[in-house]
Amino acid sequence: MSTSGETAFRRMKDLPSTHLLGGGTAMCAGCGGLQAIHEIYDVLGKKTVFVNAAGCMTLLSIYPFTPFRGSWLYTAMACAPAGAQGVRDALDILREKERIGPEEDLEVVVLTGDGAAYGMGLASTSGAIDRGLDFLYVCYDNEGYGNTGQQYSSATPHAARTATSRGAAGYPGVKKDLFAIWAANRPAYVATACPAEPVDLARKIEKAAGLEGPRLVITLAPCPTGWHFDPADSVEIGQLAVRTGVWPLKEYVDGRVVHTVRRGKRVPVEEYLKRQGRFAHLFEPVRQEELLREIQARVDAYWQAVE
Amino acid sequence: MKTASRILGTAFFEAGFEVQDAPRFGAERRGAPMFAYVRADRAPIHERGVIRDPDLVVVADDTLVPVAAAGVLVGVGERTVLLLHSAEGPELWRERLAVAGPVLTLPPAGEALDFVGAASAGAAARFVGVIPREGLERAIREELAEMPLALVERNVEQGLASFDAMAPHAGIVCEGRAADAADRTPPDWVELPFEAARVSAPAIHAGATSVEVRTGLWRTMRPVIDYEHCNRCSWVCSTLCPDSAIRVEADRTPRIDLEHCKGCMICAAVCPPHAIGAIPEREAAAQERGEAAPEGASR
Amino acid sequence: MTRTLVTGNGAAAWGARLAEADYVPAFPITPQTEIIEQIGAWIDEGAMAARMVTLESEHSMITAAGAAAATGVRVFTATSSQGLLHGMEMVYGVSGWRAPFVLVNVSRGLAAPITLEPDHNDVFAARDSGFLQLHCATCQEVVDAVLIGYRLAEDERVRLPVIVNLDGFYLSFTREPVELPAADAVRSFLPPFDPAGLGIRASQPTSQAVAVLGGTPYSYFRYQAHLAQLQALDVHAEVTAEFEQRFGRAYPALEAYRTEDAEIVFFMTGSFATKAKDAVDRLRAAGERVGLVRPRLLRPFPAARLRAVLAGVRGVAVVDQNLSLGKGGVLHAELASVLYGVPDAPAVLVSFIGGLGGRDIGAEEFYEMAAVTRRAADEGRTPEPRLLYTARELREVRKLQGIARAEHDELANEGEEARR
Repeated sequence: MSTSGETAFRRMKDLPSTHLLGGGTAMCAGCGGLQAIHEIYDVLGKKTVFVNAAGCMTLLSIYPFTPFRGSWLYTAMACAPAGAQGVRDALDILREKERIGPEEDLEVVVLTGDGAAYGMGLASTSGAIDRGLDFLYVCYDNEGYGNTGQQYSSATPHAARTATSRGAAGYPGVKKDLFAIWAANRPAYVATACPAEPVDLARKIEKAAGLEGPRLVITLAPCPTGWHFDPADSVEIGQLAVRTGVWPLKEYVDGRVVHTVRRGKRVPVEEYLKRQGRFAHLFEPVRQEELLREIQARVDAYWQAVE
Repeated sequence: MKTASRILGTAFFEAGFEVQDAPRFGAERRGAPMFAYVRADRAPIHERGVIRDPDLVVVADDTLVPVAAAGVLVGVGERTVLLLHSAEGPELWRERLAVAGPVLTLPPAGEALDFVGAASAGAAARFVGVIPREGLERAIREELAEMPLALVERNVEQGLASFDAMAPHAGIVCEGRAADAADRTPPDWVELPFEAARVSAPAIHAGATSVEVRTGLWRTMRPVIDYEHCNRCSWVCSTLCPDSAIRVEADRTPRIDLEHCKGCMICAAVCPPHAIGAIPEREAAAQERGEAAPEGASR
Repeated sequence: MTRTLVTGNGAAAWGARLAEADYVPAFPITPQTEIIEQIGAWIDEGAMAARMVTLESEHSMITAAGAAAATGVRVFTATSSQGLLHGMEMVYGVSGWRAPFVLVNVSRGLAAPITLEPDHNDVFAARDSGFLQLHCATCQEVVDAVLIGYRLAEDERVRLPVIVNLDGFYLSFTREPVELPAADAVRSFLPPFDPAGLGIRASQPTSQAVAVLGGTPYSYFRYQAHLAQLQALDVHAEVTAEFEQRFGRAYPALEAYRTEDAEIVFFMTGSFATKAKDAVDRLRAAGERVGLVRPRLLRPFPAARLRAVLAGVRGVAVVDQNLSLGKGGVLHAELASVLYGVPDAPAVLVSFIGGLGGRDIGAEEFYEMAAVTRRAADEGRTPEPRLLYTARELREVRKLQGIARAEHDELANEGEEARR
């Protein structure tokens, strides 16, 4: 485990070349969420227990198949952090009472989508932060209820078309700032990440794994099925999310927020939007200039505030 | 196939039939095999759920036929008509599958996946012999109403083409009859034995059992590494493959695990020296068949 | 063994302490709160080597309980009423995990309207969840049932969570003499939890509570949990026999009180059953052959034993302290389902709904229920279900409605009718 500043992942060649997560899962071809989990698992290792809430990734473990070499526990949509509490406490008790040795201990990892992380599971997340629970929360954020066919969630970006926001203006709301909600409670660690930026993601997981207390990594999960793009473009979409500034890569640690990846001059947001069917209505049949300006302005305002 | 079932269902309905049509998906997502079914009758339909003894089976992807888990031939009986989208002829399939009923083929869907639904429905409409050509066309237009117009026209074209092509087989599928209650075979019900929770809880006591699932079957395109151009960067394709389906050997050579590769083609898109190409799975499979036993034949 | 005055809540806490529970996920709700306060105090003073964590909801509390049990520690938790319902998704969830632990439910009527007083609709809402249910009639039974509950839950033939139910107020806040078993005696009856085949740890990769595809595996797993419940009937008989041998108190799955030659029998659960016992004694003294049958085990349902005990009885007065809206008493339906078509079964099962929201049931009401049931048996005709509710109670509600300005006209008309 590293302390801040030291990392085993300086360059891409440092990334693990053997992979822990088994193939044969039910996720869509080109799934950005699965890409993130496979990258994360390689860094965390198999001494982990994933505590999962209802979402796409629930279908990772379908009896009798599991891709994990470590452990897994499915809870329900609202309560994965509470499941993590039970497992963490039980492991602590077993160690304190010397019923298991330290070699049997596990890193407890909550794995949920944005539906649970931003919405239904927020109360149990809040409780886990209050209690200082020692756990890592991994949210794969595909910006909608993907498992049921991409209805909008509170993580859906403004103007995106979803199965429940089919109008000309798309989703009327604005994506909730989960990073800020967590950071406001002064947890051990909060970060955003993107599987298309694997070195940054690996460093963040490495750093998170070396800390104690509540830790969150929200990884963008480009979703070919829900966002309507070709599965082969998954990485490019993720990279564009970063390069346009739509998805800032940052971390909160020791009370400070630091942006970890900046790729030169920001590319216009349009370049990101026009690659995805969920934003096609912004360009066809007519360009919705006002909406496009509004989206760009929101991104610009974010960066002006932090730069 | 969901589209095919809806077009056929609507066409039957318009022709005055009572209809049921429904798709069935597994837990898997886009790209995974699925099926759909249609029932039609002059009388109200009381039977429900998956058809156990089909009169007609239409297969859009012939690579699924030998896969037991896909269940393509389940319930196929003496009078079941089998229609495959395949590059191989009906005689070959008849022999290979040893089925008693008629076997017919349409050209393979290939990359024209957008039209396979209409083409299948067109052929099926002709086989049943009770759907008029214009009824088929109306059904295609109705079911695809949300598509761009040009695409709808192509579908209509494809649907009617296979309807016409199957003219010699009009009426080949005739009404099935439910099995007589008088000559029944009782179900082989068992007393479910009690088993302790260690055995009977929904828990998996081993790691990485998912590798038993051959998601390679989802592929329509196959990534192929040109090792002459591969620069052995040792990580890009392997790290970014969502399915852990590319491993890197000690000499930094990447190997694709075709049993699990779903054909998303991320590797081809991200390879820095563009050393990964894509070929249609059908061609790759045919090449393999020509050369040696089909991959995975040992399983 | 010491005999001391303890409330029902205190007895539940003693159960957890004597069982040497490792972990107590908690959330306060009236009338359960004293249980977790007491356990918290014991932990603080070092009398109990457990970890207690207050979750932010019962949904989370039950999740944490199940997760910790699945990881391999002994878990105790407690709730009531709305809390049990708030956690209901996970009540079903954790029993499906086959996670063994004990949950004490302090019965309280369900909203709306909100009440603090007891009835059994809360615990009956969990009837089909897979939790075993032990229903208590005295504070003594509460502490003993918690200990017996762990033996049942952790038995490898069962491995399911257990609810121990006690009535709010009538037991929860009521002190009565209780014999607290000695800690070392309990330890030999209930050894430390051996989570063989269970547990989440590094050397033992396990994926629990995974999804299934289709009705075939689903039916298998659900039915196996049902078969494990049925196994628990035998395990309960074994465990309670051992308990009786060690502690001298017998807890058959079915309490049959003065039923040997009974013609009429009361059938009910919970603490009000001791009132029925009193009524039985007085009716017997008056020469009537009346008895009481009270299931302690509600899940698994002791069907065979019930058939045996009720064979030859002429009529049963089923007293339901619950109400399935649109159907009636839950126990009435449960009992009818195991007696139908059985030779020698009682000819009539008369349904009485009483004690909703803590409404008391008086001795004279028990006498009348016995009389109504006897008449029904004589006539061979089952009367309509009867709500135990008096004219005086209706007048009281009318007064309340008057103040609430409810349904003025109707009240006025009724007033006129009364004058006529």
